[in-house]
Amino acid sequence: MLGLSLALFGAALAAALAGIGSAIGIGVAGGAAAGVMTEDPNKFGSCLILQALPGTQGIYGLLIAFFVLNKLGLLGGAGAVDLTWNQGLQILASCLPIAVVGWYSAIWQGKTSAASIQMISKKPEAMGKAIILPAMVETYAVLALLTSILMLMGVQVG
Amino acid sequence: MSYVYTVARLRGMENHLLDGAFFSRLMDSASIDDAVKALGETSYSQWISQSSGVNFDKAIDAEILATCEELKSFVPDKELLDIFRLPYDFHNVKVLLKGLFKVRGGDTEGRRYDLISKLGTIDTEELTNSIETEEYGFLPYGLTDLIPACWTLWDQTKNAQAVELLIDHAMFKAMLNVAENLKMPDIIQWVKFKIDAENLRAAIRLARMKYDPAKSLPFFHEGGTIRPDDMAKLLNEPQETWSRILSYTDIGSVLGALSEQSDMKAALSDVSKALDDYLLKVLEKAKYSMDSPANVLLFLLTKEAEARNMRVALVCVAGGLDREFGRRLLSNGR
Repeated sequence: MLGLSLALFGAALAAALAGIGSAIGIGVAGGAAAGVMTEDPNKFGSCLILQALPGTQGIYGLLIAFFVLNKLGLLGGAGAVDLTWNQGLQILASCLPIAVVGWYSAIWQGKTSAASIQMISKKPEAMGKAIILPAMVETYAVLALLTSILMLMGVQVG
Repeated sequence: MSYVYTVARLRGMENHLLDGAFFSRLMDSASIDDAVKALGETSYSQWISQSSGVNFDKAIDAEILATCEELKSFVPDKELLDIFRLPYDFHNVKVLLKGLFKVRGGDTEGRRYDLISKLGTIDTEELTNSIETEEYGFLPYGLTDLIPACWTLWDQTKNAQAVELLIDHAMFKAMLNVAENLKMPDIIQWVKFKIDAENLRAAIRLARMKYDPAKSLPFFHEGGTIRPDDMAKLLNEPQETWSRILSYTDIGSVLGALSEQSDMKAALSDVSKALDDYLLKVLEKAKYSMDSPANVLLFLLTKEAEARNMRVALVCVAGGLDREFGRRLLSNGR
């Protein structure tokens, strides 16, 4: 049972930490968006896109959590597979890249998005560049997601 | 409210600031009516129509006051606004005291309530009542002790300039106190540079008057990055060397205009303008931060520079003054 507990703990970490990071990031960007829209409500569309960018880490975390639950046989009602504590620990370790990187990168992406929102307030024509800057931070969340997926695929269970 | 929201909102508000091209067009207005027409497209228009179209000073003050009130509604640290507004409180104290000095001297018409600015943090009526009735207990920024000290100095010397200096010393001390309580290094540094700038202006004026350097120390304020002693020593040196003497300071470069200009009147205005621009420039690094509180002060100073430019342009147009000289006085606001 310890193996299953460790694996579930990993899934929880992936969903929770990445989700917390996204919530903070979206909150920071939302503050900037509200400030800009107070002066110019027409910028809602641009602000919304930039505000949504830090939300992806939360989705990546959820994706990994589903991946783990599926691997454990907890989805579909087939019943949980037997895991040794070593296998559980391997799954927990596989969840850490997206949990940690997702949490931290979402916060920084939120800050970059906020700066980009301030940028389009003065230069609306630079929307393309404004999206690229926070998207650069996204790269590392995607790399962490890939790492977590590859690690999970390598863990043999059942 | 967070500073992320505040700075984002300021970025939006910056779009409404008037730029150099607008002031250049305003200066080119053939008459004051044309200038008023040009102002119709700006935020100043609401105040101009309310003040019967002619009282520009009141319109400009009303615009800055409205900006301060708007900022007050969303800036997390209201003391940041106080740093900007506090000099207007001390200006009002000067106006009220000088009026009372005249009244006590027998000039019953000495009071100049028209010179009182509403931009201060203290309600003007309360301040007036307090000074007239000599009840200073509730006044902030050390005014409780300062005003009686001003009266004592006046009774002893009858020297209005000495009283003004005493008030200015107290003002800079109060500004530095507010900045230090905020614990924001950029703001503290800005206040120190402002004190340096004011001391430099005083030094240039004293040099122009050929004032005795040995007696100049009381004219300089404490708290800047350059000690008052060093400022006083400048007066012993030729002005064209001041820039080199102060090259170890950030503000020394501003004096370049002084060494290049032979025309003292032009040099004084150029240096004065350069000092105003410098005080804006030291805060400009905040532009690259999405949540620096210094952006609040930067915005207010830019707005004040805009108001100053507006005054210069309108005075030039209304008085038919030399437009070229007027253009030289325009600050680099936005």
